[in-house]
Amino acid sequence: MNLPPAWEEIERLYHEALELPVGERNVLLARASPALRQEVESLLEADSEDGLLAAPPTHVVADLLDSQPNGLAPGQRVADYEVESLISVGGMGEVYLARDREGRPVALKILRRHLIASAQAVYRFETEARAASALCHPNIVTVYQSGESPAGLFIAMEWVDGSTFRAIMDAGQVEIAQAVDWGGQAARALSAAHAAGILHRDMKPENIMLRKDGVVKILDFGLARDGGAVGPEPSSMGASGTISGTLSGTLLYMPPEILRGETATSASDIFSLGAVLYELTAGHHPFAGETLLDVFEAIECRTVAAITSLRNGVPREVDRLILRMLDRSPGGRPSASEVCDVLGHSTAP
Amino acid sequence: MAVTDLKPTICILHSRVSETNPQGEVTRLLAEWSSGDQSALNKMMPLVYAELHRIARRAWNQHPQNNTLQPTALINEAYLKLANAENASFQDRCHFFAVACKAMRQILVNHAKSRLSDKRGHGAAHVSLDDVEPAVHEEAAEIVALHEALEALHAVDPRKSMVVEMRYFGGLSIEETAEAMGVSVRTVHRDWRLARSWLIREMNRESS
Repeated sequence: MNLPPAWEEIERLYHEALELPVGERNVLLARASPALRQEVESLLEADSEDGLLAAPPTHVVADLLDSQPNGLAPGQRVADYEVESLISVGGMGEVYLARDREGRPVALKILRRHLIASAQAVYRFETEARAASALCHPNIVTVYQSGESPAGLFIAMEWVDGSTFRAIMDAGQVEIAQAVDWGGQAARALSAAHAAGILHRDMKPENIMLRKDGVVKILDFGLARDGGAVGPEPSSMGASGTISGTLSGTLLYMPPEILRGETATSASDIFSLGAVLYELTAGHHPFAGETLLDVFEAIECRTVAAITSLRNGVPREVDRLILRMLDRSPGGRPSASEVCDVLGHSTAP
Repeated sequence: MAVTDLKPTICILHSRVSETNPQGEVTRLLAEWSSGDQSALNKMMPLVYAELHRIARRAWNQHPQNNTLQPTALINEAYLKLANAENASFQDRCHFFAVACKAMRQILVNHAKSRLSDKRGHGAAHVSLDDVEPAVHEEAAEIVALHEALEALHAVDPRKSMVVEMRYFGGLSIEETAEAMGVSVRTVHRDWRLARSWLIREMNRESS
């Protein structure tokens, strides 16, 4: 007869065991039938896990209470800015086209405080504002103001009338000469940032824009390292969601040292920019893969094909430069100013 | 879970009965339920649900900074408004809390589900906003998983699932839960502990 143990029995033994010190529970459990013992042991194991049910679901309650679930209305004011229209929506907030008091357009980025899991994310947002406002460069988006409003944390920044590199690549093949010019502008921005001790840490086609007049603008500057202009992160990574969220968006452009958990350096930005330039010139991503694991493996192991073998008209020095930017060893990569030099002197057809 | 006291702001929020008069209706339904009419519970649920929603919205509009509003505060507010608190019996109050916690669970699960199915665009990003998975998504996923596990627990031990419903979804303290359910504090303690273990085990199984 192998009847499953009765619930009452499980309950009684579970509470009896809980009253004993952990080391003495085995003696008690050994007297129970194997099925009962297994049931209670698995419950006791679950009891030692923390996290679940530890706190009421305040984020969802706050989200439910959000009076503006669909974002800010046109005409609404945030600090000195008047909202005009919604540009994009992310998991934690929105970006709006807004106007300052003189009627000039600004991009207004709003981060809703209650949607944010960790102090880390708020810290990152605030640091982004500080880091970017510490930089003044024609190829870096200018931050005008940041602060807190009833709508959430906000950053008001230069309005860029144009498209992201992602949108441009989605629309079709990019001329080699253009790719070289844009790459040079992006490298100049990185060079200036690195000289100020500020790393971008998240270079990807979504974060680089081309203004309609041909000027490249880099968005979303991250945190400083080494140089110490902006101070270190409070901790390396936040909740598990932080890691997965970061990975999903950026993995393709992450250098191997970051995937291994090492600290980012200026060479990490160079690798990411190299991946973007490869994609711009070759027309496909150097580490594209079907699954996350494929991508990991490609970044770690794949020998990147020379761009000249994929497309005609790519100057040799540009090809060599981009492959060096993708060197698996940070020490093997060129500096941002070296990238500027090579791209600046290259004569693409 | 921390004991969640009534926040002072919530008491200020207490206001007159609005356009309709759900108060008399709820009082009547509570009395009917107490005298054994089980269908009264089903009739009461949508009234409580609607009221909790209204209170939540108004609370936000009046205190947009108050991001830490607790479910228990909403329920207390709804109770003050819906039940004729002065004349209600202790029994009525217990019943009301049971219904309100159930309604709160429904509200939060529905909201969590809509949050999860809400496919946010990643289109013409001027500035990326998706670096970090928002807390609300993590919590929404947990709420939905917990809701399903709780239904399984209900089949095994209805009282324990009710304890979790009151404490987690209703935000009631151990003492408030004991009072509302008419059991001892020790029983709630023990039920809560075992239910928590059982739910964690169940959710681990589901996700693996």
